Amino acid sequence: MTTQTIPLPRAMQQDEKSTLTVLLALFKQRKTVTNGVSKSIFSKSLKHVFLIFSGLIMVFPFVWMLMGSMKSNDEIFSNPMNLFPEQFRWESFIEAFNSAPFGLYIMNSFTVALFTTLIVIVNSAMFAYAITQLKFRSQTLLYFVVMACYMLPGAVTYIPSYITLANLGLLDSHTGLVISNAASVFGVFYLRQVFLKVHPSLIEAARIDGAGEVKILWAIVLPQCKAALATLFLITFITNYNSYMWPSLLITSQDLNLIATGIRQFFIAEGNYGLNWSQIMAASSIAVLPLLTLFIIFQKTILSGIADNGVKE
Amino acid sequence: MAEVILRQVEKQYSNGFKAVHGIDLTIKEGEFMVFVGPSGCAKSTTLRMIAGLEDITAGEVIIGDRCVNHLPPKDRGISMVFQNYALYPHMSVYENMAFGLRQQKLEKLEIERRINEAAETLEITQLLNNKPGEMSGGQRQRVALGRAMVRKPDVFLFDEPLSNLDAKLRVSTRISIAQLHQDLKAEGQNATMIYVTHDQVEAMTLGDRICVLNQGRIMQVDTPMNLYHLPANKFVAGFIGSPAMNLIVATLIKENEHVYTQLACGTRFLLPDDKAQKVSDKIGQKVWFGMRPEHISTVANTSQAPSEQGDIALTHINVIESMGNELYLYCKLGNEQIISRIPFNPDDSVKHNEDHYMKFDMSHCHLFDIETEQALLY
Ligand SMILES: Nc1ncnc2c1ncn2[C@@H]1O[C@H](COP(=O)(O)OP(=O)(O)O)[C@@H](O)[C@H]1O
Ligand SMILES: [Mg+2]
Repeated sequence: MTTQTIPLPRAMQQDEKSTLTVLLALFKQRKTVTNGVSKSIFSKSLKHVFLIFSGLIMVFPFVWMLMGSMKSNDEIFSNPMNLFPEQFRWESFIEAFNSAPFGLYIMNSFTVALFTTLIVIVNSAMFAYAITQLKFRSQTLLYFVVMACYMLPGAVTYIPSYITLANLGLLDSHTGLVISNAASVFGVFYLRQVFLKVHPSLIEAARIDGAGEVKILWAIVLPQCKAALATLFLITFITNYNSYMWPSLLITSQDLNLIATGIRQFFIAEGNYGLNWSQIMAASSIAVLPLLTLFIIFQKTILSGIADNGVKE
Repeated sequence: MAEVILRQVEKQYSNGFKAVHGIDLTIKEGEFMVFVGPSGCAKSTTLRMIAGLEDITAGEVIIGDRCVNHLPPKDRGISMVFQNYALYPHMSVYENMAFGLRQQKLEKLEIERRINEAAETLEITQLLNNKPGEMSGGQRQRVALGRAMVRKPDVFLFDEPLSNLDAKLRVSTRISIAQLHQDLKAEGQNATMIYVTHDQVEAMTLGDRICVLNQGRIMQVDTPMNLYHLPANKFVAGFIGSPAMNLIVATLIKENEHVYTQLACGTRFLLPDDKAQKVSDKIGQKVWFGMRPEHISTVANTSQAPSEQGDIALTHINVIESMGNELYLYCKLGNEQIISRIPFNPDDSVKHNEDHYMKFDMSHCHLFDIETEQALLY
């Protein structure tokens, strides 16, 4: 099932996703520009201006959050449009860490997201392989069922999922969280598109070579789709790391909180609404760090994706 | 090391299209068999059924002495070389060749020995650490060949392996494949080879025997020489040979104990006695009259009265193509377009847009039934 992620520090999640999109768009752009030699300089620079402009719009809330964490609370409210603080204060970071176990929450988010993502990748890959490379009768039907699930609004599944998890005795546990998010319709859909591009003769060659289906998936198909896997990993990880709504329903113990629910509980829910904004921003900035690190690790793989595919058309 | 037998093999695709209509064929151990035919005639489908990549709708495929209908490709003792090479793009040449051997759980040393041996034969030793993306088409095809070789299969299957190469490489790789077949034979590894192509030059030069396919049916299976000189039907006659055989509708008539083939324009050719005997029951009927371009030549002495000879016709030469050593003459005979192929001779005075007498060598003519299109003379 898919959970709707509604984190309270909105700036945090939106920024993360949109910066990613912009960066990807920029890299793709770079690729086409180098290819299309004939394009006029004018249209090229127009594109760049547009991209830089939209990039700035998207990166602004992120920078604003980072800067906000170094402003005092008063300054945030008196001069909200002031990007740079009058004075850089690092205290909010320390205060934030002292007031709640954020290290633990980040750890929680990280582990839950990591396990969910790994399982999602394994089963999406197997599902996509089956509907693209194996021949069986209800293939197309199966794919349409998957697509139909994609159309379903996430919130509709909350109650049945909750009841199922309750019956399994998995409420208020990370296992429950992981299991309820372990199948991703997006993952199947996305990998299906990617696997369709793997030339069938490669798979046939591997079958003649004596490899079984799992071996073919693992040794022939997946290594050719590293970029797609990295992308899927990143997207799934970020979604689950930032997930808010579903964990807030499922998790009741304080020490099992994920980062998004944790931030909300400590700064907002307890009646001091709006008092600790600089701390909220500090905590949010820290929470984004692991995601940025992941992105930096994966970006090379994502970019190396467009490689020669070993067959001649 | 294995005979391949197809018995009444049929293939119907899941969309209902029937691609193969009952093929019967025995390919001898160690034989080089070529499947040739126009695009879409089910060459690949047939080959893929032998490989086990397509299900067999009806009939039996036998490799060695086993019916392999239900065996997976890996257990059939085959290797396949694909048109697009199908090299694993993320693996080095060495890894590409080792992949299949590792699946067979061969020892590391044996794997290494086989790969080095194949690499040496194919002269790709210096490429072993390269990735497919870093190599030219010709090199990739050699690697694909090597990957097939190291498995030491009973049967090699090739699906248009040269069609992605440029003309020059195609010739040299073709020779490598012929060489490979001979070398394996010399080593006592009597591998059967089945080779699919739409290119008749490849078919003629490589095949011990050629199987000509059309629309999912076998038209003729024979040696290259026999296919050329004794085509069993009009399709094979028109398909094998370049430029193609001239095929004209004619009527068989008998006059003064002589049998003639008479064209629509009235031109008639005298059928030699031995041939005339074979079609004695067809007098008065229409037939397909076939002549290879090289059996139609110009007649130097144009003053000779043609009609009495029984093998000379007046044609109008439209176009002359020069091949250097020979000329292709595109002529009009009545309403029929015919091609003649003559050796180039600097003293010759053939010019285009002129009428010219042509001699039809009737001892080499072919006749086919107008309906069944089967050969009538042999
Ligand atoms: N998977 C398929 N489903 C339906 N029809 C197919 C399929 N593959 C091939 N065909 C049809 O079968 C016929 C033979 O195809 P093929 O064996 O590839 O021809 P060839 O290799 O001789 O060019 C063609 O008419 C083709 O359109
Ligand atoms: Mg084909």
